[in-house]
Amino acid sequence: MAKALPGYGTIVVPEDRVVPFGAVTPAPVGTQKLFQTSNWRVVRPVRDEEKCTKCLQCYLACPDACWIYKADGETLEWVGDFCKGCQVCIQACPEDGALVAVPELDFEGGVVRLEKPF
Amino acid sequence: MAKESMMTGCRAAAEGAKAAEVEVICSYPIRPYTAIMMELAKMVADGELNAEFIHGEGEHAQVSVVLGASAAGARAYTGSSGVGVTYAMELYSPMAGGRYPVQMTIADRTLDPPGDFGSEHTDAMSTRDQGWLLGWACSPQEVYDNTLMSYRIGEDHRVMLPQMVCQDGYFISHIPDKVILGEMSQVKEFLPPYRPIHPLSLTNPVSHGPQIRPDQGAPMDAMRAQTFLAIPKVIEEATADFARIFGRKYDPFVEQYKLADAEIAFFIMGAHSNTARAAVDRLRKEGVKVGMARLRWVRPWPTHQLAEALGHVKAVGVVETSTSYGGAMRGGNLIHELRASLYDLDDRPLVTSFMGGLGGETIWPADFDYMAGILSGMVKEKRTDRYVYWLGM
Amino acid sequence: MAKVHEITVWARGVLQDKEGRDVINLFAKAAQAEGKHAQAFDNYEDLPDRVLVTVRKYVRLSDEEIEHKYVYTNDKPEVVVIAEATIVKGIDVLRGMEPGGTLIINTNRSIDDMLKFIPNANLLATVATVDADAITGIRTIDFSGSEGGVDTTGIGKGIAAPIVGAIAKVTGLIKKESLAKVVSDVSGMERGYNEVKIKHFKPAVAELVSGAAGSKHSK
Repeated sequence: MAKALPGYGTIVVPEDRVVPFGAVTPAPVGTQKLFQTSNWRVVRPVRDEEKCTKCLQCYLACPDACWIYKADGETLEWVGDFCKGCQVCIQACPEDGALVAVPELDFEGGVVRLEKPF
Repeated sequence: MAKESMMTGCRAAAEGAKAAEVEVICSYPIRPYTAIMMELAKMVADGELNAEFIHGEGEHAQVSVVLGASAAGARAYTGSSGVGVTYAMELYSPMAGGRYPVQMTIADRTLDPPGDFGSEHTDAMSTRDQGWLLGWACSPQEVYDNTLMSYRIGEDHRVMLPQMVCQDGYFISHIPDKVILGEMSQVKEFLPPYRPIHPLSLTNPVSHGPQIRPDQGAPMDAMRAQTFLAIPKVIEEATADFARIFGRKYDPFVEQYKLADAEIAFFIMGAHSNTARAAVDRLRKEGVKVGMARLRWVRPWPTHQLAEALGHVKAVGVVETSTSYGGAMRGGNLIHELRASLYDLDDRPLVTSFMGGLGGETIWPADFDYMAGILSGMVKEKRTDRYVYWLGM
Repeated sequence: MAKVHEITVWARGVLQDKEGRDVINLFAKAAQAEGKHAQAFDNYEDLPDRVLVTVRKYVRLSDEEIEHKYVYTNDKPEVVVIAEATIVKGIDVLRGMEPGGTLIINTNRSIDDMLKFIPNANLLATVATVDADAITGIRTIDFSGSEGGVDTTGIGKGIAAPIVGAIAKVTGLIKKESLAKVVSDVSGMERGYNEVKIKHFKPAVAELVSGAAGSKHSK
């Protein structure tokens, strides 16, 4: 007498838990939108427009390319999305007081706010 | 009265190796077992342990080094996790066939891709055909105890086989719990020194691992299989001796928790068995006749002991934290051998499996309630609906 | 089963990894000396830590044996301790907290200033600050202890001492006398205990206003 054999059942991965096929993810081109590190920093670099000589040492030194320099207009801008407050730019600055470290808590915004660390 | 202290499974493994006075250690970092080697390095540096501490250039090198050390007559110790275990795959069979009783401590980690630290048993389970002794601990105390017991069993001249002492990564390896270490006198009484049978030697030269002909292969395999027929007795003796000397009693093969009058049972291995035990207590209060069987040795698989322990149960749920893609049950790998163990019983239990804790995730108490519900349903309908349930999916 | 109190400590990686771990180990040891049951462990995914990344350490405290031992995170923290104040700006540290929880921050800024950075502060019944940096001024950076190793330089020599003293005063979950037996810097711990500033609020349960920074109603 043939008995109904057990089946393998079904597997339904909930939509919010689906993982990319083969664990292949998009590679960051330019900036990495998926992993912002602005909330790592405790201090941020503040540039004094008067004292700054636009020597661009900070722009060259930053490991995360947080200083944006535009040749036409000679603008030097700090973009804090990835600045971890390592202060290498401050160390590299040759002018006294042109670039200083200011506690991040002195500022209202400028830091990504995450639900959880990862 | 021995002092009780809080320590992680990694520390307990290192303390076990220190108590066993291992002579050669070969390390290579991989998380989570890395902490064991860090601890041992410190012990060697501080002069607490007199051992050769060698840093291999990879897990394959690690196992090769300890194979050579054991061949020369040293008590050797190494370890790994996750893909490190599979990287050394080539060496496992020569180690077992050459009868070198090296101990490899494994803190489980999922296999790549892509790179998850969490615990899955697949790493060590994938070596189960290689001829080693293979067992799992469910607490830091048991890690320490298994370290000593495995050396005792592996180095017994009736056995002479390498052993893998496994623990769940993070849950056991990194969360501290109470451990009582043994006194040196107890360890010395329990674990005699390693006496190699045919070590590499200048005075009695021997060759290890020469080429053999095909017609010598079958007898060689058969003789290795003969050993496995003899091992269960050695395990029983060692476990009983351990209880006598250290005062901690383990069921040699299967921990049976409230199983005697159980109608449904969880069959489980490793860290989550602690949550299972609490779930059994809780469900019993609600009137569910549930029990738990915790497997301690995967190799040698305790076929008859499991049939005895679970034979009267009506439905068994195997909680699997390892994967066997494409396997007969399309789930994990414990279920295959469990079903085989129960096959020849007159009134065999219904068996299904639950994939839980994969990726190193927690198994929640509520998950055990769900599993008990499925098992009770199976008992009522007198049939197994499906071979495998993936928890949460 | 008795209630399990969940305490989460947030610290900065490498620079404060040991400090964070000291806090939980001191807490757990003191609790065990009082006959309670406590687990103390690092968050597994935060390690290996990098400089300044946030790392979490957990304590789970109960009067009875803790049945469910294996969790990755404290899902419902009752007490959140912040070892470096800027952390509250960039992470929702109160995630999962049920209304009526406690927040303790190592800072010399005022409680009101800190609450500006926490939109969901209405979950809190108690907020406290302790200036641990000023009290001890020593920070131990010690790599032994990560990955389950041993803490060779003793526990509670740096900011962990005043922080754990503050926890004892604010929460009452452990006694200062038990801490004094296990902490290296007893005077630092006592100063943290005495100098912590505490403010009590009525957590606005009924009207959980999202986005409102630190709505507070003094008791």
